[in-house]
Amino acid sequence: MRWMEESDDSIRRAILSGDKEAYKVLMARYTQVVFRVAYRITGNEADAEEAVQEVFLRGYQALGSFQGRSSLATWFYRIAANCALEVVGKRRPEAQSRIAEENDPEQSEVQLADIKAGPDRLLLSREIEARQQAAMSELTPTERTAFVLRHMEDRTTEEIAAALNIAPNAAKQAVFRAVQKLRRELAPLWVNT
Amino acid sequence: MKHLEEAELVEHYYEESANMGESERHLKACPVCAKRYAELCRDLDGVATTTPPARREDYVDEIWQSIHASLPVYEKPKSNWMRFYRPLGWAAACVLLVAVAFVAGRRWERKQAPSVAVAVDPQARQRVVIVVLGDHLDRSERLLVQLNHADGNDLPALPLRSEARELLASNRLVRQSAMQAGDLNVEGSLDRLERLLMELANEPDKLTEADLNRLRQEMNTDGLLFDIRVLRSRVHSPGLELQSAPTATKGVPI
Repeated sequence: MRWMEESDDSIRRAILSGDKEAYKVLMARYTQVVFRVAYRITGNEADAEEAVQEVFLRGYQALGSFQGRSSLATWFYRIAANCALEVVGKRRPEAQSRIAEENDPEQSEVQLADIKAGPDRLLLSREIEARQQAAMSELTPTERTAFVLRHMEDRTTEEIAAALNIAPNAAKQAVFRAVQKLRRELAPLWVNT
Repeated sequence: MKHLEEAELVEHYYEESANMGESERHLKACPVCAKRYAELCRDLDGVATTTPPARREDYVDEIWQSIHASLPVYEKPKSNWMRFYRPLGWAAACVLLVAVAFVAGRRWERKQAPSVAVAVDPQARQRVVIVVLGDHLDRSERLLVQLNHADGNDLPALPLRSEARELLASNRLVRQSAMQAGDLNVEGSLDRLERLLMELANEPDKLTEADLNRLRQEMNTDGLLFDIRVLRSRVHSPGLELQSAPTATKGVPI
């Protein structure tokens, strides 16, 4: 494709000049990143795919208002985070009930005891993952996104702030609150292991 | 020893602490904080970084197909060019306005220039002085002629006193001008004329023939009339330069 070697800004200008097909190049560049962020925030593939589709739809529509104050990557990050959070918001009641079922406080102790004694490490891994999912679902959208970007995407506070359109200090606080909540939720695992 | 806050420990974990070295030293020196930090590391390290499943090769095409129809084509450069040229249009209009104002100003200045030139040009100024002086001398001559030839019967009808008062003011100006120009002969003649005009202006309402005779004798009005005529002839002669060559009149018996 003729736009493959071009910069993001050149492609953006081409799109705004009427070359709709050029947007596919931007999609190819950022699909993996957008999907990864969406997946980490939503926690499942179907929701992540829905979010990705929404990200690129919104991205195209908002391309004319892109000011260039941040990179397109950061811009897509921001949209991805917002779209993923919206999808999570829509699915949340269902997800909560599912997680609550799997992590019933009374059952968890038993399960953990079994896991400790059991031979299959995969079960432990799945339990940790389920706990983590439950803990993540307790975070506010901002905290969740801030934590994902900080802990999993290894983004700096400034980048998180830009993605969430908040002040750096607020981004730092969001990460800290997320860490506190996660530790509180995951603490039983360490008690029983 | 002040222990590190949990927020500081989190910052240290993500290597975003403002004083990494200081917090590092503290963690080495403080077993309490070191233990808390080890627990934090254990907790956060335990939070698995989710690895998303790999995407299909045609995943981008899939998304493209799903959204392609919903994407409108951006209108070409019209809006961009308009956005680019609109400020330029305003700037050009401003420049044009300034240019028109400048040209109009210059034209107006040129129209005004001749009158200014007259005021500034020494030769033009001299011509004005000559005209004023000539007029003054003409009127003065007429007054002196009337004064020399008046008899007792004519006196009530002659406006000698009012004419003298009018000439007195202009004579002062002309005399001062001659004095500033260094034309002593002209200035001397005008000085004598001024004394006569002053006497005449201050005479009583009913001027008698005796008063006239006294004035004629005291002021030598015949001689003064001659001086004025000489001066007038010089003023009316072409090529006269009163101010530029004041010495030319020096020594000339007026």
